[in-house]
Amino acid sequence: MIEDLTGAIEITQRIEASPEIVFAYLTDSRRFVRWMGVGAELDPRPGGRYRIDVDGEHIASGQYQEVDPPRRLVMTWGWEGHPTVPPGSTTVEITLTPDRGATVLKLRHLGLPDESERRQHTEGWTQYMSRLAAAGARD
Amino acid sequence: MQAATRTTPVPIEAAMNAIANPRRRQILRLVWDAQRSAGEIAAAVDDVSWPAVSQNLRLLKNAGLITERREGTHRYYRANRRALGPLEAVLRHMWTLDLGRLRDLAEQEARSRKKT
Repeated sequence: MIEDLTGAIEITQRIEASPEIVFAYLTDSRRFVRWMGVGAELDPRPGGRYRIDVDGEHIASGQYQEVDPPRRLVMTWGWEGHPTVPPGSTTVEITLTPDRGATVLKLRHLGLPDESERRQHTEGWTQYMSRLAAAGARD
Repeated sequence: MQAATRTTPVPIEAAMNAIANPRRRQILRLVWDAQRSAGEIAAAVDDVSWPAVSQNLRLLKNAGLITERREGTHRYYRANRRALGPLEAVLRHMWTLDLGRLRDLAEQEARSRKKT
């Protein structure tokens, strides 16, 4: 498999539940909003789109590339209006591996902008984070 | 009154250490989007003692992950998302926190399905 792991994040999480249950939390919008965002429209099939209302103001959106229940989910990821991570610019890859009645979830977020580009856009990002913080403060 | 905020990124190791504990992750989630008083936080994690909550708040504060604002005898906390620094660290925190929540929910559902 050819892959570039620069600008990637990898997180592994063991969950004491079957892959079927975990996959439902990734793809069923009713379950999804309980762990991410305040609203979500998900169309989990290859080529289908999703839109997640992160905090009432910022939208994360993208397109599903692989949907293989209950094992694997690949989608593009970005924030609408974000300076360095607009929709389509990065990829989130989630694999579920059954392990003695539990599930090992591995999430990889690939294609993040490189360090120099990131520095260039620090100001924009800081502004974005401040806006996010401000949005939180209004609750 | 404005709370002083650290603008330098938190060293990833200190931050990861601080969020390695599920109780501290729970607290960080509570104050991620909104400022909450010490009392509100203690009530939301009511299965541990106040000294334990207080210690976890101090640890999160020392790691630079939350900021504290004092108003009279009250203390308020919120996630210091600016200090979470570069994009990669912010995203890592976001996914770690969100997936922690997903795990809790999925495990709850697995347990309740077993019972029935």
